[in-house]
Amino acid sequence: MKKTGLLIAVLLLAAASANAQQGEVRMTASIAGAMPVGQMKDLTDNTTLRGIDVAILYGVNDKLSAGATIGFQDFYKKFSRAIYKLEDGSDISAVLTNSLQTIPVLATVRYSIKPGAAIQPYVSAGIGGAIVLYNQYIGEYPNQVNKIAFAARPGAGVYIPFGSGSETGANIGIYYQYMPYKHIPGITNLANLGFTVGIGFPMRN
Amino acid sequence: MQKIFSVLLAGVIALVSCTKDAVNNLEPAEKPLYITNVTSGTDFTSYATFSLADSVAVISNNQLIERVRTAYDAELISAIAAQMQARGYTRVAHGEDPDLGMSISRIYNDYTGLIDYGAYWGGYGGYWDPYYWGYGGYNYYFPPMIGTYTITEGAVTVDLLDLKNAPATNEIRLLWNGLIRGTGTFNAARVPQHAELLFAQSPYLAN
Repeated sequence: MKKTGLLIAVLLLAAASANAQQGEVRMTASIAGAMPVGQMKDLTDNTTLRGIDVAILYGVNDKLSAGATIGFQDFYKKFSRAIYKLEDGSDISAVLTNSLQTIPVLATVRYSIKPGAAIQPYVSAGIGGAIVLYNQYIGEYPNQVNKIAFAARPGAGVYIPFGSGSETGANIGIYYQYMPYKHIPGITNLANLGFTVGIGFPMRN
Repeated sequence: MQKIFSVLLAGVIALVSCTKDAVNNLEPAEKPLYITNVTSGTDFTSYATFSLADSVAVISNNQLIERVRTAYDAELISAIAAQMQARGYTRVAHGEDPDLGMSISRIYNDYTGLIDYGAYWGGYGGYWDPYYWGYGGYNYYFPPMIGTYTITEGAVTVDLLDLKNAPATNEIRLLWNGLIRGTGTFNAARVPQHAELLFAQSPYLAN
């Protein structure tokens, strides 16, 4: 199911490029993974590979491009049965599961350090918001908190054209994503180190 | 551009639907919850004997329905009694002036809600085109269609009552309460786990 979903999403995104009208706009569609860092590790320390990242950037010049990025990450952690003290003094023995999804939507700029090279390194920065869907399950009973948070994402990567003169190529990137978040007790931010592996291509008919 | 974002949105929705399902990733033994409450200041070493009824009260929506002893109930009574005996208490008959009284109840509560079926007859091409009835171009009119659903949730409670001091206090005080809740609560094969975990989190409950 997971693989099917990713495949469907990538195919949909590929279809989107076929319908695009703007010649100087490029899309990078990637499979994404992320590793929680900092306080987020209290919720889950599992690295996730259930993610996608799509950037649509307009080339301002041969080095600088700007546009938007939308992503998705699914974090999950099941804790072994343990006894917890409730506020009313009672004790509860339960298996806790944290399920957290983030959907960042970011204004993004990318600066290519060596445009035209066989391997083109770049740095990027994104700023915007993220939909944060958080469910803590006590056994099978969920407690849901859904909020929108500020999000910032500096990153770097390389773009490797598939051949000399090719407009399509592979893209490999890493980033640090930070979201201030105060809706979970004991947590003030959600941060993760992410990586993306995908394809970049021009969006035109 | 609008089409692009529509496709992007569809892609994201496809991914959201593929999140790891927390409930489906629980093993059967991981689903039940065990909640215990204790009256603070209780010295459980001051009690020596207990009496446990040989039937279970069935309470539905806050009303006692019956007292029964099904195979599941018998398993549960036996397992609870064993836990008490393992903690140093002696089980005695009801008429032998026990220090502690124990009762087990099965509690069921119904939760009812409404479902609005909405205008399933319009807004999309799945319903009969009015042309079929010989009235092409007409609109449908359906009155509001509301359905109801009822969910019954069950739990097991174990109550430990102070009989020893009842004459002095003129009341039967609850000393300890245990609650078992969640899928598998009424699975007889899980009764040993239920009893063990319920008492494991109350180490003070010992003579």
